[in-house]
Amino acid sequence: MSAILNTVAARGDERCSVPGHCVLRVEGLEKSFRGGIPPWRRQVEVLRGASLMVCSGELVGLVGENGSGKSTLMQIVVGLLARDAGTVDRPARLGYCPQAPMLWDKLTIDEHFALYARAYGLDDDERARSVGRLLDELRFAKYRGERVEKLSGGTRQKLNLALALMHEPQLLLLDEPYSGFDWETYLRFWEMSERRRDAGMGILIVSHFLTERERLDRVYELRNGQAVEA
Amino acid sequence: MTTFATVGGNFVREQLRAPLTLVLLVAIPAFFVVIFAAVVGQFADALGGTLAGRSATAISAGWAASFLTGTLAFFQVASSRGADRRLAAAGLGPMHVAQARIGAALVLATTVSMAAFVSLWVRSGIDHPLHASLAIGGFAAIYIGVGALVGAVVTDPLEGSLLVMLVFALDAFSGPQMTSSGGLAALTPTRHAANLLIAAAGGEGSPAGDWVNVALVALGSLGVAFGAFWFAARRRS
Repeated sequence: MSAILNTVAARGDERCSVPGHCVLRVEGLEKSFRGGIPPWRRQVEVLRGASLMVCSGELVGLVGENGSGKSTLMQIVVGLLARDAGTVDRPARLGYCPQAPMLWDKLTIDEHFALYARAYGLDDDERARSVGRLLDELRFAKYRGERVEKLSGGTRQKLNLALALMHEPQLLLLDEPYSGFDWETYLRFWEMSERRRDAGMGILIVSHFLTERERLDRVYELRNGQAVEA
Repeated sequence: MTTFATVGGNFVREQLRAPLTLVLLVAIPAFFVVIFAAVVGQFADALGGTLAGRSATAISAGWAASFLTGTLAFFQVASSRGADRRLAAAGLGPMHVAQARIGAALVLATTVSMAAFVSLWVRSGIDHPLHASLAIGGFAAIYIGVGALVGAVVTDPLEGSLLVMLVFALDAFSGPQMTSSGGLAALTPTRHAANLLIAAAGGEGSPAGDWVNVALVALGSLGVAFGAFWFAARRRS
Protein backbone atom coordinates (compact mmCIF):
# COMPACT_ATOMS: atom_id res chain seq x y z
CA MET A 1 0.00 0.00 0.00
CA SER A 2 2.99 2.29 0.00
CA ALA A 3 2.04 3.45 -3.47
CA ILE A 4 -1.18 4.75 -2.04
CA LEU A 5 0.74 6.99 0.32
CA ASN A 6 2.26 8.86 -2.60
CA THR A 7 -0.81 9.44 -4.66
CA VAL A 8 -2.74 12.55 -5.31
CA ALA A 9 -1.35 14.99 -3.07
CA ALA A 10 2.01 16.05 -2.55
CA ARG A 11 -0.45 18.55 -1.07
CA GLY A 12 -1.32 16.47 1.94
CA ASP A 13 -4.49 17.40 3.69
CA GLU A 14 -4.85 18.14 7.34
CA ARG A 15 -8.14 16.24 7.35
CA CYS A 16 -6.36 12.95 6.70
CA SER A 17 -4.91 11.18 9.69
CA VAL A 18 -1.54 11.01 7.96
CA PRO A 19 -0.56 14.03 5.87
CA GLY A 20 -0.22 13.22 2.20
CA HIS A 21 -2.76 10.40 2.28
CA CYS A 22 -5.45 12.23 0.34
CA VAL A 23 -6.52 10.05 -2.61
CA LEU A 24 -9.30 12.26 -3.91
CA ARG A 25 -9.65 16.00 -3.76
CA VAL A 26 -12.52 17.68 -5.58
CA GLU A 27 -12.69 21.47 -5.40
CA GLY A 28 -15.29 23.89 -6.72
CA LEU A 29 -16.82 21.41 -9.14
CA GLU A 30 -19.44 22.90 -11.44
CA LYS A 31 -21.53 21.11 -14.01
CA SER A 32 -24.64 22.02 -15.90
CA PHE A 33 -26.50 20.24 -18.67
CA ARG A 34 -28.06 21.95 -21.65
CA GLY A 35 -31.05 20.53 -23.44
CA GLY A 36 -33.54 21.42 -26.15
CA ILE A 37 -33.05 23.50 -29.27
CA PRO A 38 -32.78 27.30 -29.53
CA PRO A 39 -34.68 29.39 -28.59
CA TRP A 40 -36.16 26.87 -26.16
CA ARG A 41 -32.77 25.73 -24.95
CA ARG A 42 -32.63 25.38 -21.20
CA GLN A 43 -29.82 24.78 -18.79
CA VAL A 44 -29.94 22.75 -15.62
CA GLU A 45 -27.23 23.40 -13.06
CA VAL A 46 -26.42 20.19 -11.22
CA LEU A 47 -23.18 20.93 -9.39
CA ARG A 48 -22.44 24.41 -8.07
CA GLY A 49 -19.00 24.41 -6.56
CA ALA A 50 -19.03 20.97 -4.95
CA SER A 51 -15.92 20.12 -2.94
CA LEU A 52 -14.98 16.97 -1.08
CA MET A 53 -12.01 14.82 -0.23
CA VAL A 54 -11.29 11.19 0.53
CA CYS A 55 -8.23 9.94 2.40
CA SER A 56 -6.64 6.54 1.94
CA GLY A 57 -8.06 4.07 4.43
CA GLU A 58 -11.35 5.94 4.57
CA LEU A 59 -14.88 4.87 3.66
CA VAL A 60 -16.81 8.00 2.76
CA GLY A 61 -20.50 8.19 1.92
CA LEU A 62 -22.14 10.48 -0.61
CA VAL A 63 -25.86 10.99 -0.11
CA GLY A 64 -28.48 13.25 -1.60
CA GLU A 65 -31.91 13.30 -3.15
CA ASN A 66 -32.61 11.80 -6.57
CA GLY A 67 -31.17 14.16 -9.17
CA SER A 68 -28.91 15.91 -6.70
CA GLY A 69 -25.83 15.15 -8.83
CA LYS A 70 -24.21 12.19 -7.06
CA SER A 71 -23.73 10.11 -10.20
CA THR A 72 -22.68 13.20 -12.16
CA LEU A 73 -19.98 13.94 -9.61
CA MET A 74 -18.78 10.34 -9.76
CA GLN A 75 -18.67 10.37 -13.56
CA ILE A 76 -16.66 13.58 -13.58
CA VAL A 77 -14.13 12.09 -11.16
CA VAL A 78 -13.84 8.94 -13.28
CA GLY A 79 -13.45 10.91 -16.50
CA LEU A 80 -16.68 9.91 -18.22
CA LEU A 81 -18.02 13.46 -18.08
CA ALA A 82 -16.24 16.77 -18.59
CA ARG A 83 -16.61 19.41 -15.89
CA ASP A 84 -17.50 23.06 -16.45
CA ALA A 85 -15.25 24.32 -13.67
CA GLY A 86 -13.31 23.13 -10.66
CA THR A 87 -10.43 20.74 -10.06
CA VAL A 88 -10.20 17.01 -9.52
CA ASP A 89 -7.05 15.43 -8.11
CA ARG A 90 -7.24 11.67 -8.17
CA PRO A 91 -4.88 8.73 -8.61
CA ALA A 92 -4.41 7.01 -11.95
CA ARG A 93 -5.33 3.64 -10.42
CA LEU A 94 -8.99 4.14 -9.83
CA GLY A 95 -11.89 1.71 -9.76
CA TYR A 96 -15.43 2.69 -10.72
CA CYS A 97 -18.60 0.70 -10.24
CA PRO A 98 -21.44 2.54 -12.01
CA GLN A 99 -25.03 2.47 -10.83
CA ALA A 100 -26.25 0.71 -13.98
CA PRO A 101 -23.81 -2.00 -15.09
CA MET A 102 -22.04 -0.87 -18.27
CA LEU A 103 -21.35 -4.29 -19.74
CA TRP A 104 -21.46 -6.11 -23.08
CA ASP A 105 -24.50 -8.40 -23.08
CA LYS A 106 -23.06 -10.96 -25.47
CA LEU A 107 -19.71 -11.40 -23.72
CA THR A 108 -19.02 -13.78 -20.84
CA ILE A 109 -17.78 -12.88 -17.39
CA ASP A 110 -14.29 -14.18 -18.24
CA GLU A 111 -14.22 -12.12 -21.43
CA HIS A 112 -15.07 -9.00 -19.43
CA PHE A 113 -12.18 -9.72 -17.09
CA ALA A 114 -9.88 -10.19 -20.10
CA LEU A 115 -10.86 -6.80 -21.52
CA TYR A 116 -10.46 -4.97 -18.22
CA ALA A 117 -7.13 -6.68 -17.54
CA ARG A 118 -5.93 -5.01 -20.75
CA ALA A 119 -7.30 -1.65 -19.69
CA TYR A 120 -5.62 -1.92 -16.27
CA GLY A 121 -2.36 -3.27 -17.67
CA LEU A 122 -2.47 -6.55 -15.72
CA ASP A 123 -0.43 -9.48 -16.99
CA ASP A 124 -1.88 -12.99 -17.18
CA ASP A 125 -0.69 -14.04 -13.71
CA GLU A 126 -1.96 -10.90 -12.02
CA ARG A 127 -5.27 -11.27 -13.78
CA ALA A 128 -5.70 -14.93 -12.84
CA ARG A 129 -4.87 -14.17 -9.19
CA SER A 130 -7.14 -11.18 -8.97
CA VAL A 131 -10.06 -12.78 -10.82
CA GLY A 132 -9.85 -15.96 -8.76
CA ARG A 133 -9.93 -13.99 -5.52
CA LEU A 134 -12.90 -11.86 -6.58
CA LEU A 135 -14.90 -14.82 -7.88
CA ASP A 136 -14.39 -16.48 -4.50
CA GLU A 137 -15.15 -13.38 -2.47
CA LEU A 138 -18.35 -12.61 -4.36
CA ARG A 139 -19.16 -16.28 -4.97
CA PHE A 140 -20.02 -16.26 -8.64
CA ALA A 141 -17.27 -18.50 -10.05
CA LYS A 142 -19.77 -20.96 -11.48
CA TYR A 143 -21.06 -18.31 -13.88
CA ARG A 144 -17.69 -17.25 -15.29
CA GLY A 145 -18.38 -18.84 -18.68
CA GLU A 146 -21.88 -17.38 -18.97
CA ARG A 147 -22.83 -14.44 -21.14
CA VAL A 148 -23.99 -11.33 -19.30
CA GLU A 149 -27.41 -11.46 -21.00
CA LYS A 150 -28.07 -14.76 -19.21
CA LEU A 151 -27.12 -13.55 -15.73
CA SER A 152 -29.47 -12.41 -13.00
CA GLY A 153 -29.42 -8.76 -11.96
CA GLY A 154 -27.51 -9.60 -8.80
CA THR A 155 -24.80 -11.54 -10.64
CA ARG A 156 -24.42 -8.74 -13.17
CA GLN A 157 -23.93 -6.39 -10.26
CA LYS A 158 -21.27 -8.68 -8.81
CA LEU A 159 -19.42 -8.55 -12.12
CA ASN A 160 -19.88 -4.79 -12.21
CA LEU A 161 -18.26 -4.53 -8.78
CA ALA A 162 -15.52 -7.07 -9.51
CA LEU A 163 -14.43 -5.15 -12.62
CA ALA A 164 -13.89 -2.08 -10.46
CA LEU A 165 -11.78 -4.04 -7.97
CA MET A 166 -9.64 -6.33 -10.10
CA HIS A 167 -6.62 -4.01 -10.21
CA GLU A 168 -6.71 -3.15 -6.47
CA PRO A 169 -7.32 0.55 -7.05
CA GLN A 170 -6.06 3.27 -4.75
CA LEU A 171 -9.44 4.97 -4.95
CA LEU A 172 -12.72 3.11 -5.37
CA LEU A 173 -15.88 4.89 -6.49
CA LEU A 174 -19.09 2.97 -5.92
CA ASP A 175 -22.38 4.29 -7.23
CA GLU A 176 -25.09 2.32 -5.40
CA PRO A 177 -23.14 -0.88 -5.97
CA TYR A 178 -25.43 -3.29 -4.15
CA SER A 179 -28.72 -2.93 -6.02
CA GLY A 180 -29.87 -6.46 -6.81
CA PHE A 181 -27.75 -8.07 -4.08
CA ASP A 182 -29.42 -10.49 -1.71
CA TRP A 183 -28.98 -9.87 2.00
CA GLU A 184 -26.02 -12.25 2.35
CA THR A 185 -24.19 -10.69 -0.59
CA TYR A 186 -25.02 -7.23 0.73
CA LEU A 187 -23.35 -8.05 4.05
CA ARG A 188 -20.39 -9.60 2.24
CA PHE A 189 -20.08 -6.45 0.16
CA TRP A 190 -19.64 -4.36 3.29
CA GLU A 191 -17.12 -6.82 4.70
CA MET A 192 -15.13 -6.59 1.46
CA SER A 193 -15.27 -2.80 1.51
CA GLU A 194 -14.20 -2.58 5.13
CA ARG A 195 -11.35 -5.01 4.56
CA ARG A 196 -10.07 -2.93 1.68
CA ARG A 197 -10.56 0.29 3.61
CA ASP A 198 -8.48 -1.20 6.45
CA ALA A 199 -5.78 -2.12 3.93
CA GLY A 200 -5.55 1.54 2.87
CA MET A 201 -7.93 1.92 -0.04
CA GLY A 202 -9.93 5.14 -0.20
CA ILE A 203 -13.59 4.47 -0.95
CA LEU A 204 -16.35 6.89 -1.93
CA ILE A 205 -19.78 5.30 -2.02
CA VAL A 206 -23.14 6.66 -3.06
CA SER A 207 -25.58 5.45 -0.45
CA HIS A 208 -29.23 5.93 0.31
CA PHE A 209 -29.76 4.08 3.53
CA LEU A 210 -29.47 5.76 6.89
CA THR A 211 -28.69 2.35 8.40
CA GLU A 212 -25.39 2.38 6.57
CA ARG A 213 -24.21 5.54 8.25
CA GLU A 214 -22.51 3.61 11.04
CA ARG A 215 -20.37 1.78 8.50
CA LEU A 216 -19.05 5.02 7.02
CA ASP A 217 -16.21 7.13 8.35
CA ARG A 218 -17.67 10.35 6.98
CA VAL A 219 -20.68 11.37 4.95
CA TYR A 220 -21.15 14.18 2.43
CA GLU A 221 -24.59 15.29 1.46
CA LEU A 222 -25.12 16.89 -1.95
CA ARG A 223 -27.52 19.76 -1.45
CA ASN A 224 -28.19 22.50 -4.00
CA GLY A 225 -25.20 21.38 -6.01
CA GLN A 226 -22.78 21.58 -3.10
CA ALA A 227 -21.29 18.86 -0.93
CA VAL A 228 -21.87 19.45 2.75
CA GLU A 229 -20.26 17.24 5.34
CA ALA A 230 -23.12 15.73 7.33
CA MET B 1 -1.84 -11.60 -27.71
CA THR B 2 -1.84 -7.84 -28.22
CA THR B 3 -4.38 -5.48 -26.72
CA PHE B 4 -5.75 -4.78 -30.21
CA ALA B 5 -6.29 -8.49 -30.89
CA THR B 6 -7.83 -9.21 -27.48
CA VAL B 7 -10.21 -6.27 -27.50
CA GLY B 8 -11.02 -6.40 -31.21
CA GLY B 9 -11.56 -10.17 -31.04
CA ASN B 10 -14.06 -9.77 -28.23
CA PHE B 11 -15.85 -7.02 -30.15
CA VAL B 12 -16.23 -9.34 -33.17
CA ARG B 13 -17.46 -12.16 -30.92
CA GLU B 14 -20.00 -9.81 -29.37
CA GLN B 15 -21.56 -9.12 -32.77
CA LEU B 16 -21.52 -12.69 -34.07
CA ARG B 17 -23.06 -14.24 -30.97
CA ALA B 18 -26.58 -13.25 -31.96
CA PRO B 19 -27.93 -16.32 -33.79
CA LEU B 20 -30.27 -14.20 -35.89
CA THR B 21 -27.36 -12.05 -37.06
CA LEU B 22 -25.57 -15.15 -38.31
CA VAL B 23 -28.65 -16.26 -40.21
CA LEU B 24 -29.10 -12.80 -41.71
CA LEU B 25 -25.46 -12.68 -42.82
CA VAL B 26 -26.33 -15.48 -45.24
CA ALA B 27 -30.01 -14.76 -45.86
CA ILE B 28 -29.74 -11.07 -46.75
CA PRO B 29 -27.13 -11.45 -49.52
CA ALA B 30 -29.08 -14.42 -50.89
CA PHE B 31 -32.30 -12.39 -50.79
CA PHE B 32 -30.74 -9.39 -52.50
CA VAL B 33 -28.93 -11.36 -55.20
CA VAL B 34 -31.53 -14.03 -55.92
CA ILE B 35 -34.86 -12.31 -55.36
CA PHE B 36 -34.39 -8.56 -55.22
CA ALA B 37 -32.13 -8.47 -58.30
CA ALA B 38 -34.94 -10.01 -60.33
CA VAL B 39 -37.22 -7.04 -59.72
CA VAL B 40 -34.70 -4.24 -59.42
CA GLY B 41 -34.73 -3.82 -63.19
CA GLN B 42 -38.40 -2.87 -62.96
CA PHE B 43 -37.55 -0.29 -60.28
CA ALA B 44 -34.84 1.11 -62.52
CA ASP B 45 -37.20 1.17 -65.46
CA ALA B 46 -39.79 3.07 -63.41
CA LEU B 47 -37.13 5.58 -62.32
CA GLY B 48 -35.91 6.04 -65.90
CA GLY B 49 -32.73 4.00 -65.49
CA THR B 50 -31.25 1.18 -67.55
CA LEU B 51 -30.13 -1.28 -64.88
CA ALA B 52 -31.04 -4.85 -65.82
CA GLY B 53 -29.80 -8.42 -66.13
CA ARG B 54 -26.35 -9.29 -64.82
CA SER B 55 -25.65 -5.68 -63.85
CA ALA B 56 -28.68 -5.72 -61.56
CA THR B 57 -27.64 -9.02 -60.01
CA ALA B 58 -24.10 -7.80 -59.45
CA ILE B 59 -25.05 -4.49 -57.92
CA SER B 60 -27.48 -6.26 -55.59
CA ALA B 61 -24.51 -8.07 -54.05
CA GLY B 62 -22.89 -4.71 -53.35
CA TRP B 63 -26.06 -3.41 -51.78
CA ALA B 64 -26.37 -6.48 -49.59
CA ALA B 65 -22.83 -5.92 -48.34
CA SER B 66 -23.42 -2.22 -47.70
CA PHE B 67 -26.77 -2.71 -45.96
CA LEU B 68 -25.46 -5.40 -43.63
CA THR B 69 -22.18 -3.66 -42.88
CA GLY B 70 -23.85 -0.33 -42.20
CA THR B 71 -26.33 -1.92 -39.83
CA LEU B 72 -23.64 -3.88 -38.00
CA ALA B 73 -21.44 -0.79 -37.66
CA PHE B 74 -24.38 1.18 -36.31
CA PHE B 75 -25.14 -1.45 -33.68
CA GLN B 76 -21.48 -1.74 -32.77
CA VAL B 77 -21.74 1.82 -31.52
CA ALA B 78 -25.36 1.88 -30.37
CA SER B 79 -25.38 -1.30 -28.31
CA SER B 80 -22.03 -0.83 -26.61
CA ARG B 81 -21.76 2.89 -26.05
CA GLY B 82 -21.77 2.81 -22.23
CA ALA B 83 -19.56 -0.27 -21.95
CA ASP B 84 -17.01 1.14 -24.41
CA ARG B 85 -16.86 4.45 -22.55
CA ARG B 86 -16.32 2.69 -19.25
CA LEU B 87 -13.52 0.58 -20.74
CA ALA B 88 -11.91 3.69 -22.21
CA ALA B 89 -12.12 5.52 -18.88
CA ALA B 90 -10.71 2.48 -17.06
CA GLY B 91 -7.44 3.05 -18.83
CA LEU B 92 -7.69 1.72 -22.36
CA GLY B 93 -8.47 5.18 -23.76
CA PRO B 94 -10.90 6.09 -26.57
CA MET B 95 -8.15 5.75 -29.18
CA HIS B 96 -7.52 2.06 -28.44
CA VAL B 97 -11.26 1.38 -28.19
CA ALA B 98 -11.73 2.99 -31.61
CA GLN B 99 -8.85 0.96 -33.09
CA ALA B 100 -10.38 -2.28 -31.80
CA ARG B 101 -13.82 -1.27 -33.06
CA ILE B 102 -12.53 -0.44 -36.55
CA GLY B 103 -10.66 -3.75 -36.60
CA ALA B 104 -13.83 -5.60 -35.63
CA ALA B 105 -15.83 -3.67 -38.22
CA LEU B 106 -13.34 -4.66 -40.94
CA VAL B 107 -13.54 -8.33 -39.95
CA LEU B 108 -17.33 -8.17 -40.07
CA ALA B 109 -17.26 -6.30 -43.38
CA THR B 110 -14.97 -8.95 -44.88
CA THR B 111 -17.31 -11.71 -43.68
CA VAL B 112 -20.35 -9.94 -45.11
CA SER B 113 -18.57 -9.20 -48.40
CA MET B 114 -17.61 -12.84 -48.76
CA ALA B 115 -21.21 -13.92 -48.20
CA ALA B 116 -22.38 -11.42 -50.83
CA PHE B 117 -19.66 -12.46 -53.25
CA VAL B 118 -20.48 -16.17 -52.90
CA SER B 119 -24.19 -15.42 -53.43
CA LEU B 120 -23.35 -13.54 -56.59
CA TRP B 121 -21.01 -16.23 -57.85
CA VAL B 122 -23.55 -18.98 -57.25
CA ARG B 123 -26.35 -16.99 -58.84
CA SER B 124 -24.79 -15.73 -62.04
CA GLY B 125 -21.10 -16.41 -62.19
CA ILE B 126 -18.62 -13.54 -62.40
CA ASP B 127 -16.32 -12.82 -65.30
CA HIS B 128 -13.98 -10.69 -63.23
CA PRO B 129 -14.10 -12.24 -59.73
CA LEU B 130 -11.20 -10.23 -58.33
CA HIS B 131 -12.66 -6.93 -59.51
CA ALA B 132 -16.09 -7.92 -58.23
CA SER B 133 -14.81 -8.94 -54.79
CA LEU B 134 -12.86 -5.68 -54.44
CA ALA B 135 -15.90 -3.67 -55.50
CA ILE B 136 -18.15 -5.46 -53.00
CA GLY B 137 -15.48 -4.83 -50.34
CA GLY B 138 -15.60 -1.16 -51.32
CA PHE B 139 -19.36 -1.05 -50.75
CA ALA B 140 -18.88 -2.62 -47.33
CA ALA B 141 -16.01 -0.35 -46.29
CA ILE B 142 -18.00 2.74 -47.26
CA TYR B 143 -20.94 1.68 -45.12
CA ILE B 144 -18.77 1.11 -42.05
CA GLY B 145 -18.45 4.89 -42.06
CA VAL B 146 -22.16 5.47 -42.63
CA GLY B 147 -23.24 3.09 -39.84
CA ALA B 148 -20.65 4.25 -37.31
CA LEU B 149 -21.36 7.93 -37.99
CA VAL B 150 -25.10 7.47 -37.47
CA GLY B 151 -24.40 5.43 -34.31
CA ALA B 152 -22.19 8.16 -32.88
CA VAL B 153 -24.77 10.93 -33.27
CA VAL B 154 -28.10 9.12 -32.88
CA THR B 155 -28.49 7.30 -29.56
CA ASP B 156 -31.88 5.68 -30.10
CA PRO B 157 -31.57 2.25 -31.80
CA LEU B 158 -34.83 2.57 -33.72
CA GLU B 159 -34.13 6.09 -35.00
CA GLY B 160 -30.56 5.18 -35.85
CA SER B 161 -31.37 2.03 -37.77
CA LEU B 162 -34.08 3.88 -39.71
CA LEU B 163 -31.58 6.59 -40.60
CA VAL B 164 -29.07 4.02 -41.85
CA MET B 165 -31.91 2.52 -43.89
CA LEU B 166 -32.78 5.94 -45.34
CA VAL B 167 -29.20 6.64 -46.39
CA PHE B 168 -29.00 3.18 -47.92
CA ALA B 169 -32.28 3.62 -49.82
CA LEU B 170 -31.25 7.03 -51.20
CA ASP B 171 -27.87 5.66 -52.17
CA ALA B 172 -29.19 2.47 -53.78
CA PHE B 173 -32.09 4.00 -55.69
CA SER B 174 -30.06 6.97 -56.95
CA GLY B 175 -27.03 4.96 -58.02
CA PRO B 176 -25.65 4.36 -61.52
CA GLN B 177 -28.18 3.10 -64.08
CA MET B 178 -31.03 3.40 -61.55
CA THR B 179 -32.32 6.80 -62.65
CA SER B 180 -32.38 8.86 -65.77
CA SER B 181 -31.67 12.27 -64.31
CA GLY B 182 -28.32 11.46 -62.73
CA GLY B 183 -28.83 14.32 -60.26
CA LEU B 184 -28.37 12.49 -56.98
CA ALA B 185 -26.29 9.78 -58.60
CA ALA B 186 -23.33 12.13 -58.69
CA LEU B 187 -23.48 12.44 -54.90
CA THR B 188 -24.05 8.87 -53.77
CA PRO B 189 -21.11 7.40 -51.83
CA THR B 190 -21.09 4.03 -53.60
CA ARG B 191 -21.39 5.23 -57.22
CA HIS B 192 -17.76 4.43 -58.10
CA ALA B 193 -17.96 1.01 -56.46
CA ALA B 194 -21.21 0.39 -58.35
CA ASN B 195 -19.53 1.25 -61.66
CA LEU B 196 -16.73 -1.21 -60.89
CA LEU B 197 -19.18 -3.94 -59.96
CA ILE B 198 -21.35 -3.46 -63.04
CA ALA B 199 -18.27 -3.56 -65.26
CA ALA B 200 -16.91 -6.66 -63.51
CA ALA B 201 -20.21 -8.47 -63.96
CA GLY B 202 -20.04 -7.81 -67.70
CA GLY B 203 -16.46 -9.02 -67.93
CA GLU B 204 -15.07 -5.56 -68.49
CA GLY B 205 -12.24 -3.83 -66.72
CA SER B 206 -12.59 -0.38 -65.19
CA PRO B 207 -10.55 2.77 -65.69
CA ALA B 208 -7.90 3.52 -63.09
CA GLY B 209 -9.84 6.62 -62.08
CA ASP B 210 -12.72 4.49 -60.79
CA TRP B 211 -10.36 2.39 -58.69
CA VAL B 212 -8.71 5.46 -57.24
CA ASN B 213 -12.08 7.01 -56.47
CA VAL B 214 -13.35 3.88 -54.72
CA ALA B 215 -10.14 3.66 -52.69
CA LEU B 216 -10.38 7.33 -51.69
CA VAL B 217 -14.05 7.15 -50.69
CA ALA B 218 -13.50 3.88 -48.78
CA LEU B 219 -10.46 5.25 -46.94
CA GLY B 220 -12.29 8.48 -46.16
CA SER B 221 -15.22 6.49 -44.87
CA LEU B 222 -12.98 4.38 -42.64
CA GLY B 223 -11.49 7.61 -41.32
CA VAL B 224 -14.98 8.87 -40.53
CA ALA B 225 -15.77 5.54 -38.85
CA PHE B 226 -12.64 5.75 -36.71
CA GLY B 227 -13.62 9.26 -35.64
CA ALA B 228 -17.16 8.08 -34.86
CA PHE B 229 -15.93 5.16 -32.75
CA TRP B 230 -13.57 7.50 -30.90
CA PHE B 231 -16.35 10.06 -30.42
CA ALA B 232 -18.66 7.42 -28.92
CA ALA B 233 -16.00 6.25 -26.43
CA ARG B 234 -14.71 9.65 -25.40
CA ARG B 235 -15.45 11.72 -22.30
CA ARG B 236 -18.76 13.55 -22.64
CA SER B 237 -19.15 17.29 -22.24
